[in-house]
Amino acid sequence: MVPLSHYLLIGAALFSIGIVGLFLNRKNVITILMCIELILLAVNINFVAFSHFLNDLGGQIFVFFVLTIAASEVAVGLAILMAFYRLRRSINVEDLNTLQG
Amino acid sequence: MSLLDMAIQAGIWALEILAITIPVALSVAYITYLERRVIGWMQIRKGCNRVGWAGLLQPIADGLKLFLKESIIPTHANKALFVAAPVLALLPALVAFAVIPFGETDLFGIWKSPHLMAIANLNIGILYVMAVGSLAIYGILLAGWASNSKYALIGAVRSTCQMVSYEVSMGFAIVCVLMLAGSMNLGDIVNAQAGGFWHWYIIPLFPMFLVYFISGCAETNRSPFDLPEGESEIVAGFFVEYSGMWFATFSLAEYAAMILISLMTSIMFMGGWHAPIPALDFIPGTLWLLGKTLFFIFLFIWFRATFPRYRYDQLMRLGWKVFLPCTLVWIAVLGIATYTPGLSTIIGFWQPWR
Amino acid sequence: MLESIFFYLFGGLATIGALLVVLSRNPMHSVMWLIFCFFNAAGLFFLLDAEFIGIITILIYVGAVMVLFIFVIIMLEVNVARMREGFLHHLPLGGMIAMLVFIEMASAGFSGVFSAEQMGTAVHLGQEVNNTAEIGKELYTHYLLGFELAAIILLAALVGSVVLTIRSRKDAKYQNIPAQIAVKKSDRLRKVRM
Repeated sequence: MVPLSHYLLIGAALFSIGIVGLFLNRKNVITILMCIELILLAVNINFVAFSHFLNDLGGQIFVFFVLTIAASEVAVGLAILMAFYRLRRSINVEDLNTLQG
Repeated sequence: MSLLDMAIQAGIWALEILAITIPVALSVAYITYLERRVIGWMQIRKGCNRVGWAGLLQPIADGLKLFLKESIIPTHANKALFVAAPVLALLPALVAFAVIPFGETDLFGIWKSPHLMAIANLNIGILYVMAVGSLAIYGILLAGWASNSKYALIGAVRSTCQMVSYEVSMGFAIVCVLMLAGSMNLGDIVNAQAGGFWHWYIIPLFPMFLVYFISGCAETNRSPFDLPEGESEIVAGFFVEYSGMWFATFSLAEYAAMILISLMTSIMFMGGWHAPIPALDFIPGTLWLLGKTLFFIFLFIWFRATFPRYRYDQLMRLGWKVFLPCTLVWIAVLGIATYTPGLSTIIGFWQPWR
Repeated sequence: MLESIFFYLFGGLATIGALLVVLSRNPMHSVMWLIFCFFNAAGLFFLLDAEFIGIITILIYVGAVMVLFIFVIIMLEVNVARMREGFLHHLPLGGMIAMLVFIEMASAGFSGVFSAEQMGTAVHLGQEVNNTAEIGKELYTHYLLGFELAAIILLAALVGSVVLTIRSRKDAKYQNIPAQIAVKKSDRLRKVRM
């Protein structure tokens, strides 16, 4: 029988790896989006673990909503990326500086 | 549970898995034979008839030839992904067979109640098949990208667009089946259609049956939707750079997916292992299921022999502007019919959960 | 015991996969490791009796979202070397913050509030309990408003991504099907007296 705290530990590990990734790959939009996915996955693991240990289905339904949000976020994010690439031929975050004057 | 029990259980599972995979691999070999003979017959020529009696050893000779050929990795290919791609293409097609029920048996009266003949009897079997089926894209996409070749890349991009588009209408067709059967368990779906061909879902869901089967053709990249391969335009599409055994793995995956789509069509729309007339029940159910599957495989081959290839924009238009609205309308029709007083008795005939 | 073995297997592989997502040089490899990570997370969901969520994770994340990622990576010609500039430069700060977050969350997890004595041990439900049907009952009653909002968000994302990426090309020739079908004999055919 695996206790709840071990699931929480895995959630915490994935969450902090996602944060490290955001810091390390600050220039690559694609990797930043992937790190956000990792963070959302960590949240999902916590939700499902609590839902199982508290015998409440609400957690699983929230995972459902998180999945919806993640899918729409990626769709719009990658669409912006494509539009930006057409404009600048680059997806480097540092090239997003046209508003600096 | 002791260690011995676990070992015995693991052994039983291994035997079950082998009992599914080996026949699938063998039938893949002989479907290629069937395809060549049937297309030959349709085009008034012989087909393969040299190796062995009536050419029956031809698939084995082909396999041996491919096995002995050199496997080449292109110079600037991404080696790891190049090698992983054929495996990723074959894996989902075989893994999906884990939940397919091949019939019901009480093992010659040893068991009290009939058991499902499937490796895993999942509550969400149909979702599992969909999820695993959607992974087949990765093999093609990675093969196209890792080969570092223009033709392969074009093939992979075409294939991805095609598979993603047709998956949507396929999913909606499955939703229609779920609305009638009221369960995601494949065994329950088949048993909801028991009692003769007038209970089969092909009758209330005939348009969905067409959508599912044609989308299945597009999912497996079979002609008339074989644009990803399109040998007259982009040589062989995503697997141009593959040779030898890796090449064989791709065609193995294609044929395994073909068998899977045929099986799913007969399970969801044609009553699975139930005979069309209850008087014919003395024939074992598994034979009925395999017979129906064979008919659909024949249909796949027939398509290939007769239809010309679609143009790319026509393909996309068919998926998004014809199939998708069709399925959405049919879902609405089913939903309204289920809760309209007069119609609900008619549609209720196919809905055992009410 | 089998459950523990599978838990540590899935959990460990998910963590390794996540690490390799962050550390891979090639974005394509990152995507593959992320897919691997999702599979292991789905395995964890199965261990928690949430088979519907597990399979939906595979269906949506692996079957659709990650395909989109790969597609974009293929279509864009990414200069990997320039992307990696300053990779180690941010490591001390990022690593420190992440370590802090991890320690905080882990200590919260192990503080005893969530220990086996406090939470009780959840029993696994048999196959006769249909997780999907239960989720459906909850979703379409208590959470109906949220469900509708999620649908609107998806629609907005759909419309938004189409608007952002669509471009009409003047140089491409398109087939006008209604015009093609509506054509009459008199439009194309002209009788000439010889």
